[in-house]
Amino acid sequence: MTVWEGILVAIFCISMVFFVLIGLSLLIKGFSFILGIFSSQMKQDTTPVPAQSETVLENELSLGILKLKDVDEPTAAMIMAIVSDESGIPLSELCFKSIKLLRQD
Amino acid sequence: MFIEALHEIWKTSGFMALTWQHVVMIIVACVLIYLAIVKKFEPLLLLPIAFGVLLANLPLAGLMAEPASASEAGGLLYYLYLGVKKGIYPSLIFLGIGAMTDFGPLIARPSSLLLGAGAQFGICIAFVVAVALGFAPEEAASIAIIGGADGPTAIFLTTRLAPELLPAIAIAAYSYMALIPMIQPPIMKALTTKKEREIEMSQLREVSKLEKICFPIVVTIVCVLLLPSVAPLIGMLMLGNLFRESGVVERLSNTAQNALINIVTIFLGVTVGATAVAENFLRPETLKIIGLGLMAFIFSTVGGLLLGKLMCWLTKGKINPLIGSAGVSAVPMAARVAQIEGQKANPANFLLMHAMGPNVAGVIGSAVAAGILLSLFG
Repeated sequence: MTVWEGILVAIFCISMVFFVLIGLSLLIKGFSFILGIFSSQMKQDTTPVPAQSETVLENELSLGILKLKDVDEPTAAMIMAIVSDESGIPLSELCFKSIKLLRQD
Repeated sequence: MFIEALHEIWKTSGFMALTWQHVVMIIVACVLIYLAIVKKFEPLLLLPIAFGVLLANLPLAGLMAEPASASEAGGLLYYLYLGVKKGIYPSLIFLGIGAMTDFGPLIARPSSLLLGAGAQFGICIAFVVAVALGFAPEEAASIAIIGGADGPTAIFLTTRLAPELLPAIAIAAYSYMALIPMIQPPIMKALTTKKEREIEMSQLREVSKLEKICFPIVVTIVCVLLLPSVAPLIGMLMLGNLFRESGVVERLSNTAQNALINIVTIFLGVTVGATAVAENFLRPETLKIIGLGLMAFIFSTVGGLLLGKLMCWLTKGKINPLIGSAGVSAVPMAARVAQIEGQKANPANFLLMHAMGPNVAGVIGSAVAAGILLSLFG
């Protein structure tokens, strides 16, 4: 095999790799989209209409009352987001009881 | 009589058959054992490989000897090596890898597959250079696949295209995978600006269980229909992943990702190492293969990073180009290196999950590249 033939083979090979993986990524996007529609429809079908107002729903989803001590809300939100990101647990599944500033005296 | 017996034992011992080539190979084996134990260079594989090298180079042991006749038994490693020769072990290792891998980050951001494709660039460069250096196309393809940074894939392809090069290619592939934390960072720094490395990426969306279950089925159907030669690798990888994600065969999933992969790793490592006998290994070609492997690895990293930069530019700075370097398979070490480098530039940067997408895409990418090369030269 000459070097030129080698270059042609290499170009063909990388093109095929891109072709297959681009195809796969489009396919994943496609099935994620379809499954998203499907699962949202399933949720709509199975979730009973709440008899109470939205505030009741919010209360049901609430994971408790968070006590902040010497910490402002943006900082607390950032801490919760970091904990969620680092632990890989979605925020909706985490329960924070209190966040307080520790001072070194 | 006693002295005669001692003399006879001495005459039939391995010491009498020892040549300088054997001694060199025993030293090579000891260096590899040192690197595995002391330096912890990919010890799970390097240690059995190194011990296999040692066993195969002790003369008269005959561990890799073929049976002389149908009634006689061959060496122990000869029979174990059949699993490598027939492509069984790499596929079983892929089963375990599939059971251990979470494809969630890839499903959440499918564009990661492009980075996995870009990181196969080194395979192409190494192939051309190997052809220019006079290697046959089958040999060049086997050497080039080192750039995929995927040991089982490299072994799978080499056993089919150029089995005589297996020891050098396997040792080079696993050594470079172990050296990722040293090879990649300088290239990452050279090809990216500090501003690019500082980019914080937004959190990935949550992937539903249904998507995770559908993923291995869809990938298997598409890849195997398109490239039937890749069926043993992709098929097993996705079967392992389906075990994991389905949640109904926990015992099988646990076996695949623990006991099975460990047993196969022992057999694969020892027998691959045992093919490195002095006559095959101590050749100028081995040095060329080691050099070409390093080049393939470097260019694969470059390819991933350049594509990462392109995606960074196209998304107006939403993608940190460092995650492109994780497109070389080497799961999860390449992703960890991207995380470390990202955090060095910006301590608030958490790239690990973002880098896992290209990282697992690289596994698929290198298997696809191997399938293409096998279709062309197999």
